[in-house]
Amino acid sequence: MDNASLVSLSYQLAAFRSMDVIANNLANASTPGFKRESVKFEEYVQPVQPAEGQSGSQSVAFVRDAGVVRDLSGGSLDHTGSPYDLAISGNGYFAVQTPAGERYTRNGHFTLNSEGQIVTSEGYPLLGDGGPITVAVDDGDISFGADGTVSGKQGQIGKVRMVDFADERALTKEGSSLYASSQSPAPAADATLSQGMLESSNVQPVLEISRMIEVMRAYEATATLAKNTDDLKRQAVEKLGTVQ
Amino acid sequence: MRALSIAATGMQAQQTNVEVIANNLANMNTTGYKEQRAAFQDLLYQNVEQAGAQSSDTGTLVPNGIQLGAGVRTAAVYRITQPGDLQSTANPYDVAINGAGYFRVTMPDGTDAYTRDGNFSLSPEGQLVTQQGYVIAPGLAIPPNATAVAINGQGQVQATIPGQTALQTVGQLELTRFPNDAGLKALGDNLFSETSSSGAPQAGVPGSTGYGTIQQYFLETSNVNAVEEITSLITAQRAYEMNSKVVTAADEMMSETAKLGS
Repeated sequence: MDNASLVSLSYQLAAFRSMDVIANNLANASTPGFKRESVKFEEYVQPVQPAEGQSGSQSVAFVRDAGVVRDLSGGSLDHTGSPYDLAISGNGYFAVQTPAGERYTRNGHFTLNSEGQIVTSEGYPLLGDGGPITVAVDDGDISFGADGTVSGKQGQIGKVRMVDFADERALTKEGSSLYASSQSPAPAADATLSQGMLESSNVQPVLEISRMIEVMRAYEATATLAKNTDDLKRQAVEKLGTVQ
Repeated sequence: MRALSIAATGMQAQQTNVEVIANNLANMNTTGYKEQRAAFQDLLYQNVEQAGAQSSDTGTLVPNGIQLGAGVRTAAVYRITQPGDLQSTANPYDVAINGAGYFRVTMPDGTDAYTRDGNFSLSPEGQLVTQQGYVIAPGLAIPPNATAVAINGQGQVQATIPGQTALQTVGQLELTRFPNDAGLKALGDNLFSETSSSGAPQAGVPGSTGYGTIQQYFLETSNVNAVEEITSLITAQRAYEMNSKVVTAADEMMSETAKLGS
C-alpha cells in the first residue's frame, strides 16, 4: 500500500540531488577549468507480495542515484592578457604542490609569489619537470611555449609539467579547482599550452536551465502523485470506517 | 535544500564579478590604472559515494562516485600588469615608464608608496610631487629661475637656467621593481604599497637591465579594454540571472513539498 508513496519519495530525493548538481554547475559557470556534472540514476528493483486476486511475481522499482558523471570535454579559451594565465587544450592537467601532496588542476590562473615562484591563488607552487618554477626579476617578460617550456630574457627557465591519467573520471574533486588522484600520472601526450588564456568552464547554460525545468516539473508531477496516493488512503479510511 | 545556497554562492560570485568590471570601466581613463579580474574556484565537495569503491566482493569498482559540490567562491581579484598605451601631453612634468618599474613616492607619514602614474607637478620648493602633493623619491630641486626642464630616458633631470649655455643636471629619477608586482596592495590615488606577497622592492636606474625607460611628455593610459569589459559584463549579468532562476526553481520545489499532505 505504501509502495506508491515510497517510490515517489525516492524520486523526490533524487530530484533534490539533481537540482543540487545543476545549481553547482550554474554557480561555477565562470570558474576556469570547471567540468559540468550530471547525475546518473538507476532502478532499484524490489519484489513485492502480489495483490489479492493476482498471481505471479510483482516488483516495484525505486530510483537511486548511481553516480555523478563529469563531462570531460574542453571549455572554450577565454583571453585574459595576464602572462601567468595558462590554458591546456587537449587532455592534461597542471600539477601543483599542496601541503597535502601533489594535486592536479585545469584552472590555469597562476601568479608569482614574493620569491618569484609561479603559484596558484592559494599560493601552491606550479610544478615543472624539476619541481617549482622560479622566475627571476631579470628574466623580464616570460613566455610559455605550447609544450610548456618557460623562457625569459636569460633563456629557458623550466618546463611546466602537464600530466594525464589512464582513468580521468577516477580523480576526486577537492574544491578550489583541485583534483586528487590515487593513480600515478603519466606525461600528457596531446596537451597544448596557451599563454594569456584561461579555459572557461564547459557548462552550457541552455542545457542546465532546460534540465532544471525538467527536474522541477518531474518533481511537481511526483508530488501530485504522492498527494493523490495520500487522498486515496484518506478516502479509504473515511469510507471504510463509516458504519452504514 | 542545498541548491538554494549553491545558487546564492553563484549570485554572490557574479556580483563581485560585476563590481570588478564596473571598477575597470570607471577607471578607463585613469592614468596608469591596471585592469583587474575576479578569479573563481569551486567550493568543497561532499563525498557521498567514493569513485573506485568496490561494488562487489569480486572486485568490481564503482566507475563514478557521487561528489556533491557546494558552489563557487571568489579566490582572488588580481591585477593584470600589462602596460597601457602611452599618450602624449604638453606638460613637461608628465612622465611615463616605458617598461617595468614604479616611481617611489614618500608618503606624509614617511612610508614608501609606489605608482606608475607619472602625472607630476612642482611643489613651491621645486620638488616633483604627485597630484596629492607627495614628494617623488629621491628628491630633487628644480631652481625657481629654470626656464625649461628636460628628462631623458635614463631619468636624468636637467634644467635650462638663463645665462648658462650648458644644461644643469638637477636630479635623477629612480625606478623600483618587485618580484611579483601583481601582489602590491592598492592604496587608492593610483598608489601601491609593498606586501609580503609582492616581495622586496629593488631600486635601479631607468634604462638599466630589467628596468623601463622614462618618456617625458607622455602618460601611461589604463590597460582596460572596453570591448572585453563589456562582453564580460554581459556574461556576468546572464550568469547572475541563471543563478537566480535556480533559486526560483528550488523555491518552487520546496513549496510543492510544503503542499504535500495538506
